Amino acid sequence: MGCSLKLFGGQRSLGEMSRSHGGTILRIIKQMTTKRFHEIRDPVAVFVKLDTAEREVLNSAPVQRLRHIHQLALTYLVYPGATHRRFEHSLGVMHLASRVFDVITDEENRHDGCRDIFPAVDELRYWRRVLRMAALCHDIGHLPFSHAAEELLPDKKTHEDLTYALIKSPEMERLWNTLTPPLNTNHIAKLALGQKELPMETFSNWEAILSEIITGNAFGVDRIDYLLRDSLHAGVAYGKFDHYRLIDTLRILPSGENNLSEPTLGVEAGGLHSAEALILARHFMFTQLYCHPVRRIYDIHLKEFLLATLPGGKYSADIRSHLQITDAEITTEIRKAAADENHPGHLPAVRISNRQHYRLLYERNPEDIKANLQSVQMVFEAACVEFGEENVRRDHYSKNAGIIDFPVLTPMNGIVSSWVLSEIIPTIPSIVVDSVFVSPLIKAKAALWLAKNKTDIIQRVEKEEEQ
Amino acid sequence: MKRMARIAVLLSLVEELKKNGSWCGETHIQKTTYFLQRMLEDDLGLDFILYKHGPYSFDLSEELGRLRADNLVKVVPQNPYGPRMLPGRAWADLKETFPKTINRYAKKVSFLGHWLGNKGVAELEKLATALYVTKELNIEGGQRAEKIHELKPHVSLEEARAALNELDMQMDSVRELVAAV
Repeated sequence: MGCSLKLFGGQRSLGEMSRSHGGTILRIIKQMTTKRFHEIRDPVAVFVKLDTAEREVLNSAPVQRLRHIHQLALTYLVYPGATHRRFEHSLGVMHLASRVFDVITDEENRHDGCRDIFPAVDELRYWRRVLRMAALCHDIGHLPFSHAAEELLPDKKTHEDLTYALIKSPEMERLWNTLTPPLNTNHIAKLALGQKELPMETFSNWEAILSEIITGNAFGVDRIDYLLRDSLHAGVAYGKFDHYRLIDTLRILPSGENNLSEPTLGVEAGGLHSAEALILARHFMFTQLYCHPVRRIYDIHLKEFLLATLPGGKYSADIRSHLQITDAEITTEIRKAAADENHPGHLPAVRISNRQHYRLLYERNPEDIKANLQSVQMVFEAACVEFGEENVRRDHYSKNAGIIDFPVLTPMNGIVSSWVLSEIIPTIPSIVVDSVFVSPLIKAKAALWLAKNKTDIIQRVEKEEEQ
Repeated sequence: MKRMARIAVLLSLVEELKKNGSWCGETHIQKTTYFLQRMLEDDLGLDFILYKHGPYSFDLSEELGRLRADNLVKVVPQNPYGPRMLPGRAWADLKETFPKTINRYAKKVSFLGHWLGNKGVAELEKLATALYVTKELNIEGGQRAEKIHELKPHVSLEEARAALNELDMQMDSVRELVAAV
């Protein structure tokens, strides 16, 4: 082989050296020539770097499975470019989490009010590694087509429950133990899932902050990566913002009234505009892409297909079965079902495969809400009576309606709420989607019916219940 | 309780807080709603977990966002603390639709307004965590203060004991109120 090295001034082949000095020198050379760091090209991060031990985690079955889980479910039926997978998103989240960690732990960036939450310098390396691995694994519990049919897990389980079980599985536990230093499995689970998903766990302030880096509502890198990545792949420019500037200005700051002792992620005043841009990007991406009505109705049809097709209408919560099933198996089954009239999922499969999805009839709007807060419910109920429940669907989404606020460090070292300093943040509306869809076969008839009866329908008022 | 009736109770609580001097940040609403659900035993159907600054409901946070979208809540900046949540312009109509429900809860809402309306976030955090430790973790006696201190290290043992004393006193005074509804 042509492999040669310049060692100790002389140039000899690996073969020659191994012959003369036996196996020991070959091992040393192998160690010296084996790459310890690896780079993966990525359209958002450019290069994602990881070391050999971390690559073992990347190569594990739960992480590799993410190569077959679409980040945005069936969105590619509306935005053809949106075919990217959770695998590259997970790499991106790991990459961004490391950058945020390096910024907020930098001695110069530590706020006096929060200095006591940082661990000793020699522990920082450990926590950086925990954070990276938690970020890499934060989505491994996702079901086929991501969020689309999550309700089909038994006993109200969620994909986060599966993530937790996988992180704690013997296969992953073995990997955590081979890292240097070995990582505590519980630390990884806590950082990957956060306090919301693990209410029975007690989080130290430090653990809470690190989990916020991944899962945080305002500056979680999960969100930062998916906005940038989804925007890029879908071809929707709204998701872009200056995340370089934003990350450089992130700080751990005291939060809330009287600078309470529980710290949170905030920004230096210089980063406020990029934080505003992030929140605007989120708003536009939800309204234009994630809540696009056709994308939403495809999720509903997918759920109907799975209800009809999965044994008992449920996914298995067993992690072995979970690892066996991806978008590929479901897509194959949809195609099979669409061609077979006797398949239990035939009708929803046809709706998905042949683009016979239900059409938007009515959606929440400020004018009708003013007349009746329950206007969508009224239209839905009336449409069900008029056309039969099988021809009508309702979609409601308000998961991201909550108000985002974060502390901002001003040049005079004071901390002020973003709502006070920003002229933009208080004006960004809450994201609420509420729509009624009807079968394409009755769309024209239903539109005429609604135009004629809408005023009467939305004037119906919910009666107060008698106790 | 149906959603709209629950909203009517929730907003009557926000109105009462405002009347009693609260600046009505989300934390104030979160903690007093927790008291309504757990101390006064009204099942509003909200899940609370122990989070930053004590018990917190992600369902309630989402609901407040929806109320804002429906003009039932208006959110205004309060210098320097943050967003203040007040009943919005659609509240008057809702109030007219649910008079009996609002009236049924009036005494409890009034009690909470008087007791908690003038308290800041730090005080509410201590009291709500004290209730959480008592009700959700089923810890009794002197161990409760230690648990509060363990969960919230910035709350000293002395502060935890003071919060528990205040809570126990108020719990005794509301027994009648709880039995009444």
